Amino acid sequence: MSSSEAPVSVVTKIVDGYFRFLKFVIALCLAIMVVLVFGNVFLRYAFNSGISVSEEVSRWFFVWMTFLGALVAMREHGHLGVDAFVMRLSPFGKRVCLILGQTLIAYVCWLLLVGSWDQTVINLDVKAPTSGWSMAWFYGTGIVFAVTGGLITLHNLYRALFCKLGEHELVQVKESEEIHGEHANTQGEPALRAVAGGKH
Amino acid sequence: MTITIFLGSLLGAMALGVPIAFALLICGVALMYHLDMFDAQIIAQNVINGADSFPLMAVPFFLLAGEIMNAGGLSKRIVNIALAMVGHVHGGLGYVAILASCLLASLSGSAVADSAALAALLVPMMTAAGHNKERSCGLIAAGGIIAPIIPPSIGFVIFGVASGLSISKLFLAGIFPGLLMGIGLAIAWTIVARRDDVKPLPRKSAKEIVATIVDGAWAMMLPVIIIVGLKFGVFTPTEAAVVAAVYSLIIAVFVYKELKPKDVYAVFVQAATTTAVVMFLVAAAMVSAWLITVADLPGELIALLEPFMDNPTLLLIVIMLVVVAVGTAMDMTPTILILTPVLMPVVKQAGIDPIYFGVLFIMNNAIGLITPPVGTVLNVVAGVGKISISDLMRGVWPFLMAQLAVLFALVAFPVLVTGPAKWFAS
Amino acid sequence: AARDLKLAMQTNPGTAQYDGVEKFAALVKEKSGGSLTVKIFGGGALGGDLQVVSSLQGGTVELSQMNASLLNGLAKEFSVLDFPFLFDNEKEAHAIMDGPIGKKLMDKLPEKGIVGLAYPELGFRHISNNKRAVKKVEDLAGLKIRVIQTPVYVDMMNALGANATPLPFPEVYNALEQKAVDGATNPLVTIPVMKFDEVQKYLTLTRHQYNPQIIIMSKKAWDKLTPAEQKIIQESANEARDFERQVSAKKNAEALEYLKKKLEVTELSAEEMAKMREKVKPVIEKYTKELGEPFVKEVYAEVAKVRGAK
Ligand code: NA
Ligand code: NA
Repeated sequence: MSSSEAPVSVVTKIVDGYFRFLKFVIALCLAIMVVLVFGNVFLRYAFNSGISVSEEVSRWFFVWMTFLGALVAMREHGHLGVDAFVMRLSPFGKRVCLILGQTLIAYVCWLLLVGSWDQTVINLDVKAPTSGWSMAWFYGTGIVFAVTGGLITLHNLYRALFCKLGEHELVQVKESEEIHGEHANTQGEPALRAVAGGKH
Repeated sequence: MTITIFLGSLLGAMALGVPIAFALLICGVALMYHLDMFDAQIIAQNVINGADSFPLMAVPFFLLAGEIMNAGGLSKRIVNIALAMVGHVHGGLGYVAILASCLLASLSGSAVADSAALAALLVPMMTAAGHNKERSCGLIAAGGIIAPIIPPSIGFVIFGVASGLSISKLFLAGIFPGLLMGIGLAIAWTIVARRDDVKPLPRKSAKEIVATIVDGAWAMMLPVIIIVGLKFGVFTPTEAAVVAAVYSLIIAVFVYKELKPKDVYAVFVQAATTTAVVMFLVAAAMVSAWLITVADLPGELIALLEPFMDNPTLLLIVIMLVVVAVGTAMDMTPTILILTPVLMPVVKQAGIDPIYFGVLFIMNNAIGLITPPVGTVLNVVAGVGKISISDLMRGVWPFLMAQLAVLFALVAFPVLVTGPAKWFAS
Repeated sequence: AARDLKLAMQTNPGTAQYDGVEKFAALVKEKSGGSLTVKIFGGGALGGDLQVVSSLQGGTVELSQMNASLLNGLAKEFSVLDFPFLFDNEKEAHAIMDGPIGKKLMDKLPEKGIVGLAYPELGFRHISNNKRAVKKVEDLAGLKIRVIQTPVYVDMMNALGANATPLPFPEVYNALEQKAVDGATNPLVTIPVMKFDEVQKYLTLTRHQYNPQIIIMSKKAWDKLTPAEQKIIQESANEARDFERQVSAKKNAEALEYLKKKLEVTELSAEEMAKMREKVKPVIEKYTKELGEPFVKEVYAEVAKVRGAK
């Protein structure tokens, strides 16, 4: 986004790499879910058998995909929201709303971190019924989400407070599920991607 | 009092431009303070468990199938079938759009995906033939929203999980009302397009028609697999969705050969990201739903609606008008998630058939996708059709009225939903 | 001031289990003079069983009632309750659950943040299907029987010669109706409540598994109570348990009467029951190793003692 800051810093590179990695992980999660669930159907009808861990394990991958994917969307301002009200405000009003909103989100991330931490500790030696995996892997999703989401939010707050945002960045939600992703800046492009298979 | 806290915190946060998912979490925090049971674990527990659902896995699988169908040439072939069959009659491209909407709806669960594909394929053809562009785009937008009514449907999946109703039953109950929406559109199109001076496409020879149908047969097998599979209990809706995804992947890569193996990764990333946006919202809604339950907010609402409780039809009309109003400003998924836990106890208490209500509720939400000011499908069609939102609004209104007429006909005659639903289920 | 205790469960009104917790709530209110109240959230309104267990551990929900073997994630010994043919009848089951074995299991819970109070019941499971009357073990061969997605259930059904088909409970009716599976295993009461009798023809009284339930409380909530209040809760749980077992027996008897009119009901001969026990032996051996031999032996010894005492 900030193409004017000429040399790409090491931090930016690491952060970009981290989110590219997250995208790879969520695609992998989806692929594993397909294999497990489809495999189960196939085995049931072809061989009268099944993978008994399929249901539970695929659900866990689903949970991880949801929260890691939600982080990707958070960074790309892809979450749904209603911008009808803030759009009518002056740049100053927009900035105030953004600061208030991001503060609330940061607080929610903090609560999520505390709550997931407690639940992860409680569930360290609790075993999942079918796979026998520690339930901490399940509740641990919340920790990863809260830490990364909190950092994204704090970064947004820092930029909002110290005037490093352009006016178009002061509204950070989209009205529809359709228009998100890093290429969604022009009106025609996201829709064209929809036809090309980039969309749901 | 609880209702005030619920609405105040939710709408307040949304007005600040906070994403709806986070607004739901903030609303949960406010309710925890209000109920004097503050504990961060309540948030963490419900948000994480909210995403942990086998039935909801139908969402990523149907989204993935939709992505593959659009990128892999399945959607295009469905449109070709519709073209070959009704392209030659007067005003035929409009009927093509309606027929294609219904056919695509039986493959895809998402209004957005369908209207994008239809707009890209049909708007250029319709305008070239001499149809009014605003009206063509309007028809396609209104046709796109049939997708969540005719199964598969992501809306029904999310509603089914939020309400605890059988997704299979909802799917089967949606078939006939979805077709009624198509018929409603056809009537509206006949009226508004009768004076259009257009040249119909040349009638295709029988040979050409057969060739088109054969070419599209692989794609048309998919709805057959899904509906037969669900009807005969061969698989659960989630399994139907994964079968749809794998089937369309095989057809797109190996039969039509329009999806290159190297594009498959991008398709998976896209489906996963879109799923995450929907699912994070679902998960966040579980937090407020849990607190709504503990606070017995539906009880408060039932007390408020007491004057209507003895008259289910009147109650239904009131609820439908509220949902239409909410739908003007909100997208489908958040509306379902926010209203279902509040409305379902009311509906059950009033003795309204929950499956019937579900069909009406989802249809109403789908209509919200084409009501201004905020209409996701309007945005998509405007983008793809290269037309301004205000022009599109002018073009869509006759079809919007037709869909609302169908909705309120179903309110007046419940048997239009329950009758065919019984037939399909037996 | 009155304190509200939330009780979360999956069961809906109209069942013995729900009647039982309603009794529990009434008893707590009565004995505490209204200073403690139990508010019931049925139908999974506060989350699935595993989520509720975690809520109890964290202290965000105070009470619950569920199948006791679901606690095997906290203490693997609870799995023994899923063992096929462990008990012959309710009397035996009640004696074991209320005796030293039941207590030993409950004693494993406090270190996990949970207090066990009493064992009501879901009851014995039986096998129904729509293909043929199962009069011999061999009749089960090849039947697709729906089971819970728990390894013991799957292995046991396969050991009996059937094809275990794990399915989520809400999908069972549809699957039976459309003949995607041939049969299912349920306590008698469940069959008419879920209308499975509409889509099944044959019922065999196999009594192959007994599911005890357990009333549990969050230890965090428990520790906040005065000893007098703890006593009230414990006594109410015990009385509610006895009440629930009576209701369960009555409802099961009624259900059987009703089902005899709707389905072809088969009692298995002692000889066939013995054959079934023989068939599931390898399954029991496999899970005995996982649970730890000494504990399982102790359980079977205790069962033998109770059986001999009659
Ligand atoms: Na559809
Ligand atoms: Na709208």
